[in-house]
Amino acid sequence: MNIFSLFQNIFAPPRDLILIILAAWIGLTLSERRAPRRHVNLDSLSNLLLVGLVSFVVGGRVLYALENLAIFAQSPASIFSLNTALFDQWGGLVVAAIMAFVYGRRIHLPLWLSLDALTPLFATLAIGIAFSHLASGAAFGKETNVPWAIEQWGALRHPTQIYEIVASILTLTLILIQRTTARPGFEFILFVALTSASRLVIEGLRGDSTLIFGGFRAAQIAAWLILLVALIGLDYQQRLDHKKE
Amino acid sequence: MQLILRRSLYAVILLAGLVWVFVSADKTNSATAGRIPAPQKGFLAPEFKLETSDGHLVALTDYRGKAVLVNLWATWCPPCRAEMPTIEKEYQAYQNQGLIVLGVNSTIEDDPTAIAPFVKQNNITFPILLDINGEASNLYELRSLPTSFFIGRDGVIKDVVVGGPMSEALLRTDIEEIIK
Repeated sequence: MNIFSLFQNIFAPPRDLILIILAAWIGLTLSERRAPRRHVNLDSLSNLLLVGLVSFVVGGRVLYALENLAIFAQSPASIFSLNTALFDQWGGLVVAAIMAFVYGRRIHLPLWLSLDALTPLFATLAIGIAFSHLASGAAFGKETNVPWAIEQWGALRHPTQIYEIVASILTLTLILIQRTTARPGFEFILFVALTSASRLVIEGLRGDSTLIFGGFRAAQIAAWLILLVALIGLDYQQRLDHKKE
Repeated sequence: MQLILRRSLYAVILLAGLVWVFVSADKTNSATAGRIPAPQKGFLAPEFKLETSDGHLVALTDYRGKAVLVNLWATWCPPCRAEMPTIEKEYQAYQNQGLIVLGVNSTIEDDPTAIAPFVKQNNITFPILLDINGEASNLYELRSLPTSFFIGRDGVIKDVVVGGPMSEALLRTDIEEIIK
């Protein structure tokens, strides 16, 4: 048994969630250290995260129930089920973002500085998700003959989960070495730019992409558009810095 | 000067990204598309042939064209035991619409004498297959019990649920998807 198989056996689903929880814990620690340097109140930031987390859990489940209303109407108790599959992840994220934004405004948290303080958490979560993909075999690569290909799902494939791990670790490293005197929002926008750029590259090597318009990968197009917005944001910030100097 | 250099760099990055989007497009839709048998969503369900407790041979290929739920379980596993009545209830509700449930007992790691009493006690009517040599468990890379595979009429796995017990809503959501 190689180290790859051993890792997959230890963290096979649903135990792969441990990796995400571990990443969240490390990310929170990094963000808590970062917050004072970005002049963000730690208690307020913790409350914001709690609001976001509860909104994510409740929002994701309620949206899923609404999307499958006829089924949940027959067994309403299922809304309290512990099955994590009964969950709309993207819907939960949108609800969490909206609720955190509204709560942040109410307690007068500075938006961009708060996002900067939370960036190490986002970047570490990305690493945890990449490791969970490796454990579960999700987000797998397309078939290839490259020497570093791995045997997965009946074929030799690009180790896209490993590419994802390397890219997310590099992103976190680049975030952590940034000067804390950077303009508010710089670290967050840099994280968005780096993450979308790596997704744009890695998605092209995946074997499970959702295809649109006759073969184009939907996630790649979304990543390219997000990268475009992030680079415009970085350019705007650097122009402001230039004017200040 | 710095501004021009920076903007040029950003433009090159975006242009390279756009080129990569076109180069890596999957024009033949050849990514997986259910051609390879593997125990993963989007792949062809691996074939197996197992005996039932009364000696009948049952093969997954016998049910090609039907929606199939393959549930891997064992009598010693509490979530497996807990979800069996719900699976039976949904089997009764959907079997007229072409749903087949195959309860694959991981007999290699179970007490064979405990299977029949458990089936009788819970009034299970769908076929219970005995995976005596671990053939199906290996093919389906079983790592946790229970694990359920929802297989569409085309033989492609539409969802994999690891762990349990599955709630009624989860079962129905996935069954509705495979009986389409």
